[in-house]
Amino acid sequence: MIRKEAVKIIANHIGKNHIISANGFMSRDLFEVNDKESNFYMIGSMGLASSIGLGIALKNPKKKIFVFDGDGNILMNLGSLVTIGSLKPKNLVHIVFDNNSHESTGGQPTSSSQINLAKIAKAVNYNVFVVQTKTKLISILKNIKKLQGPIFLLVRISTSKERSKRVSWDPKTIRDRVMKSL
Amino acid sequence: MNERIQRKLFHYLKKKKIENFVGVPDSTLKHFIDECLKNNNIIITTREEEAVGIATGMTLSKSNSLVFMQNAGFANSISTITSLVELYEIPLIFLIGWRGYLPDDAPEHLKIGKIQPELLKIIGLKSQILTEKNWKVKCDWALKQIKEKKPCALVIRRMFHD
Repeated sequence: MIRKEAVKIIANHIGKNHIISANGFMSRDLFEVNDKESNFYMIGSMGLASSIGLGIALKNPKKKIFVFDGDGNILMNLGSLVTIGSLKPKNLVHIVFDNNSHESTGGQPTSSSQINLAKIAKAVNYNVFVVQTKTKLISILKNIKKLQGPIFLLVRISTSKERSKRVSWDPKTIRDRVMKSL
Repeated sequence: MNERIQRKLFHYLKKKKIENFVGVPDSTLKHFIDECLKNNNIIITTREEEAVGIATGMTLSKSNSLVFMQNAGFANSISTITSLVELYEIPLIFLIGWRGYLPDDAPEHLKIGKIQPELLKIIGLKSQILTEKNWKVKCDWALKQIKEKKPCALVIRRMFHD
């Protein structure tokens, strides 16, 4: 499964819920497969999608908030896991698409293959799931609907040569769309 | 800035509908931060950029937020401020403790301390220095900035040694 396929499956499944997507190919894939007002495409500030998601989740306890993160992104802000794990937002679903690489900058390796991200998330109070196949992904998505967060879903994906177009919305428009939808 | 004014500062901003106080502690701001703690209205993060991210999420949720940090942490956060806060025009108030203002402050603060005003200017983040006399006027200025959807910074100089 490549990132774009996984993004499509998850985004279709979660409907109109808010998604905060990491910079680089992550946001580009989401924009191409499922653009909607409640998507916050973070085009800069690498590492911070989970922090922005935490801020939104804390202020909107009745809404389910999804973060689409990458392994490179979360490794850049591991402290975010600690803060999320200590505040325990029940409505936050943190999805990490892990291809063990910085695909957006040319496929250089990250260290995610050498360590256990799921174990780290577990140690900081997340409810943790790991999937690798489409079938498993779909069944987990059904399950987590009923579960309390913070949920950490690690989706193992393979790298790909496929490239999605850039997010064409102006940053201020992205902001206004999201604010309107919250 | 003395303890009494720092504590008042928290309550003044709170009364003016700043709902969230997020950041990394700094000794210059310790009484302000202590007041946030006493009122159970604070999130202490692992790094300053993280605080900027959380406050951005809260502001997108129409809940006004202040991010506090030392100027060393401000220097850490520059790329986040330019590529998130300024790019999307997220109306946040930064409250920055200015180490290295005094030329005989600890050595690790001198280099960034010396260029602190220039750093703010170069990235185009409007700022004002808060003193014991002008703090209310400057807070009103900051509140007006965020009302106009502009981020801004309030700076408190470190005037003592410990």
